[in-house]
Amino acid sequence: MDFRAILSKIDKNGERYLTLPLYTMVVITIFFEVFRRFALSYSSIWSEEIARYAFIYITWIGAAAAIKERAHIRIDVILPLLPNKWKTIVFIFGDVITLILACIALYWSMEPVLNSIHFGSVTHGLRISQAWFLSAVPLGFLMIVWRLLQSMKRDISDLMAGRPVFEGNKLFD
Amino acid sequence: MYSHLLNTTELTLGWEFYGPLLGMVILILLGVRIWAVVGLGSVIMLMTTEVLPPALLGEALFDGVDSFALIAVPLFILTGDVLVRSGLSNKLLDVAEATMGWQRAGLGTSTVLGCGFFACISGSDAADAAAIGRITIDRLVEKGYPKPYAAALVAAGSCTGILIPPSISYIIIGLILGISASTLFLAAAVPGVLILVSVMVTNFLVNRIKGYEDSRGEFDVKHWLRTVYDGRYALLIPFIILGGIYSGIFTPTESASVAVIITLFIGFAQKTIRMSDVPKMLETSAKVSGVIVPIIAMSLPFAQTLASLEVPQYFVFTMTSLTENRYLIMLIMVAILMIAGCVMETTPNIVILAPILMPLAQEIGMNEIHFCIFMITSLGIGFITPPLGLNLFVVSGVSGAPVLSISKHAIYYVFSMLAVVILLMLVPAISLWLL
Repeated sequence: MDFRAILSKIDKNGERYLTLPLYTMVVITIFFEVFRRFALSYSSIWSEEIARYAFIYITWIGAAAAIKERAHIRIDVILPLLPNKWKTIVFIFGDVITLILACIALYWSMEPVLNSIHFGSVTHGLRISQAWFLSAVPLGFLMIVWRLLQSMKRDISDLMAGRPVFEGNKLFD
Repeated sequence: MYSHLLNTTELTLGWEFYGPLLGMVILILLGVRIWAVVGLGSVIMLMTTEVLPPALLGEALFDGVDSFALIAVPLFILTGDVLVRSGLSNKLLDVAEATMGWQRAGLGTSTVLGCGFFACISGSDAADAAAIGRITIDRLVEKGYPKPYAAALVAAGSCTGILIPPSISYIIIGLILGISASTLFLAAAVPGVLILVSVMVTNFLVNRIKGYEDSRGEFDVKHWLRTVYDGRYALLIPFIILGGIYSGIFTPTESASVAVIITLFIGFAQKTIRMSDVPKMLETSAKVSGVIVPIIAMSLPFAQTLASLEVPQYFVFTMTSLTENRYLIMLIMVAILMIAGCVMETTPNIVILAPILMPLAQEIGMNEIHFCIFMITSLGIGFITPPLGLNLFVVSGVSGAPVLSISKHAIYYVFSMLAVVILLMLVPAISLWLL
């Protein structure tokens, strides 16, 4: 498999590769914590921490996946009434707005990470650098920015070619 | 309670508040992603009003999500999904039919009861509507119900997805107002069942008048026992979830995780699920957290901004100067919540409206738990309020009937649920007696 094929695979499934192992870990960690509390009357502080921090990664990476599939919750009152060309323009406009916020969020979420590295703060349970977990937010927003740029590129080329715009997948079909 | 604050603070909100707010409304109407609008709105409002440093957002995106209770949100979607794929949801419907199918509106009542059973496992109403609708709507049509009516019935019954515990909405409101989800789950049990019963009774009455279904039969104890025995594994799951939470053995998050593992185990043992089905289920539920949690994360700084601007106090002041009658104020709150629930998703509604309405509720002497039940139930009506109720769209997608014709039939249920909300409003004891 050449390098391009690997890149396109990551582009297609990147969020999936990251969230699936993390999510499996969350479910199993919580289950074993309950099991241990019953069977061995012993519980740890780090297991809850693992679940919580993995969940933060899942959330922001999942948000990027939802950008890719245009699955984020929005109100569809005006959109269905518009002709395709204007619909595409409104979708691109929405992406621009999201992009502005995502860049602001990316910038501001770096601050806690840098502070944590600077002051060397560690987590309560695992005693490892907090920066590893705080990075979930900037990482997620980096992916969100990337997915938004891809989505805008696709919509603009659809607009130029006069193709119907991608309206996204429904969460519950 | 807040009146002392009103005397000391200047309550003037100028363009620096209304400008960004108007911008947000326009962007939301244009169909921009809700979390992006709320996030951008709070950044701009923080910049124009300078009540808090805008860098607050950076921390809120981590701290707001860093909660063990919140993990239950995707997990209670996952429990429902695993139940459907393992085929156990069919068993629950069989039990519902053996219990209620003998009377005249039998299949209708059983469908609603099935929605209620499913609601004891899943925390989401849209998942409930999709799962039950897919199986029952065609069968209801065979029994003589018009398709749009059958769809409306499922839409109404599955509102209990968030009204009967476990419920995503109660987890979120608990997080926002600092109340334990287990307590809210306990309080929500009776009101949730009341909504379920009101939907059943409404269907019974509509059926009497219009004569859609005419089932005849008698309650067959042997058959019932056999069906319950057949569905024993399926019935075990709500028992584990609710029993675990109510007895205090599990937190809601833990109960969801345990239920997922046990359902998967049953599915593997009965060979209804294969290992290769698992990633797909995990993916759907992970996506749900990617869709719901950013809204919570962005709404928290927005709510903080509103609080710093003293918008809730301003709201209390305006409302109490309009009328002193507490029941009138409650009715206005119902109206606000129903409209909000009809045009917007529950999650942003809870995160933004709960901190604004809560001070008003306390001002008129409502208990905070009573308020939570009242608020979520009112928002729940929004799911089937035409023309924008979310459930109407879900069942329209499942059944193929147009939203508009479903809406016509949904009106009956809007009124019957409204009657329950007013009952809950007048009698706080319904929400509080199990505590």
